[in-house]
Amino acid sequence: MNIVVLAKQVPDPEAFVEIRGEGARLEIEQKFATNLFDEFALEEALRIREKQGGKVKVITMGGGKATEVLRTGIAMGADEALMLDDPAFADGDGYATALALSKAIQKAPFDILLCGKQATDDDRGEVGPMVAQFLGLPHVGGVTKLDIADGKAVAECPIEGGKEIMEVPLPAVFTTQKGLNEPRVPLITGVMKAMKVQIPKMTAADLGLSPNELGQAGSKVRIERYLPPKKRPSIHLIPGEPKEAAAEAVRILLEDVRVI
Amino acid sequence: METILVFVETKEGAPRKVSLELLSEGRKLKADGYRVEAVVMGEASAVLKEKVLPYADRLMSLKDAALGQYTAEAYARALAEHAREVSPKLILAGATQIGRDFLPRVSVLLGAGIASDVTDIHWKEEPFKCIRPIHGGRALTEISFKSFPGIITTRPNAFAVEPPGDTQGEFVEKEIGVPTDTIKTRVLGVEEVARKKVDLTEADVIVSGGRGLKAPENFKLLEDLADTIGGVVGATRSVVDARWRGPEDQVGKSGKTVSAKLYIAAGLSGAIHHIMGMDTSKVIVAINSDPNANIFNYADYGIVGDLFEVLPAMTEEFKKRLAK
Repeated sequence: MNIVVLAKQVPDPEAFVEIRGEGARLEIEQKFATNLFDEFALEEALRIREKQGGKVKVITMGGGKATEVLRTGIAMGADEALMLDDPAFADGDGYATALALSKAIQKAPFDILLCGKQATDDDRGEVGPMVAQFLGLPHVGGVTKLDIADGKAVAECPIEGGKEIMEVPLPAVFTTQKGLNEPRVPLITGVMKAMKVQIPKMTAADLGLSPNELGQAGSKVRIERYLPPKKRPSIHLIPGEPKEAAAEAVRILLEDVRVI
Repeated sequence: METILVFVETKEGAPRKVSLELLSEGRKLKADGYRVEAVVMGEASAVLKEKVLPYADRLMSLKDAALGQYTAEAYARALAEHAREVSPKLILAGATQIGRDFLPRVSVLLGAGIASDVTDIHWKEEPFKCIRPIHGGRALTEISFKSFPGIITTRPNAFAVEPPGDTQGEFVEKEIGVPTDTIKTRVLGVEEVARKKVDLTEADVIVSGGRGLKAPENFKLLEDLADTIGGVVGATRSVVDARWRGPEDQVGKSGKTVSAKLYIAAGLSGAIHHIMGMDTSKVIVAINSDPNANIFNYADYGIVGDLFEVLPAMTEEFKKRLAK
């Protein structure tokens, strides 16, 4: 069973995010973490391999710090890693990113492709389904249970008020979310191995793509500006004993803000 | 004349609220010369026609055996195929579980850009801009399209549902002909757990609780308040992890992103993970015994006090006043 995991290094959820240059760019505190949703993908890939044998390969895009997510993958137990590293990949939208990833994935045959349902930095949630479409494969989004047998996968995903059970032939793409598994903490031996491993790289030319199909140039949408989130007016604390305060809160909600 | 194509998502045959929000936006654009096309997968019920036709110039029901149950493959094929014939400038859909699942595939099929989980659209600017939160809401981006068609999915509750108009669009059925060999996904079954009337993501009123409730049975206090004011109960990650509440109730980064008109947060500290899932709610009321709880930094109104006293008192007061 050949399993590919797409993973992304993202700013730590608690990192400071500041808007600079009148909205021209973001300045983000240099604290990183593996995208939460990709951890479920990595863990699931390892569990499938443990049951069925095969190899797990982790792929990411981006230079510098992006290798950290690959080292985390290796430390957890992945067999191989690949980094798409080229300035041409930078600042792409979901479309340009998924195009490059799908070309890299196509370089070797695989049975299962796993990735988090979204990255917690861009919050787009586009790349998984897009890669599936670029590759002409089925996908199941936001899975919380995955069983692989006889060249097929049965996946469960929560829907409103219940869950849906889908069957797809392999190869197929699955995006992962909370509830699928509990990601393992890497063993120290894994961490040691990951520190030493050489990570192969691919550029746009290796993928047979021209720079104008990639990154910002190849994007279908453009980020015009960054804006701060809407500021709430400062809080109105309602004084008094619990009963009084409760009654006043109810009065405000019914008479002043009229949200009920 | 340029066309806006609105994907109408259904729930038990009726259009979802987010679809009516988009149809309302579309109808406002008619004044600027746009034509509004609505499209529904499969049969259109009488209720659906009645609700959608006052907003749209035309409602098209796409019919195919492959569209009986949702699969991303079939919905994407059908919508892309339909869009090729209608040639819309924009395709609008709700950023629901389904919308966010299959519209990225439509984007690839059409080579169209997509702006996902948009919370506002500045139509009057040239070019018009979509606003979408990133980094869990710690910043917003202004997005424009480099080419058309473009695809936009919008967060439920981001736009208002306008009253229906007095015009009626036409209704047309179309056999779409999805090639069966291209659909590899099979739906084996759907299991229902609990049928809530309204999903958290579409709820106008949410009453959420965390560890401060002290025990799972105490969520009854939140349920009583929610029932009184037509709300739905939400929960923090820590109480979901402790199995006090089901995972479908979780609001936050690894749970649901909600945009309620009123969000009451009781006995929850306001961890950044939770804030990321509810910060776009309109009015936030926080109840916590700790005056330094982070949730007070994100609330419009706050009560520093014991929720075991405050919540029942609020429920009583609402009952008294709403009975009048």
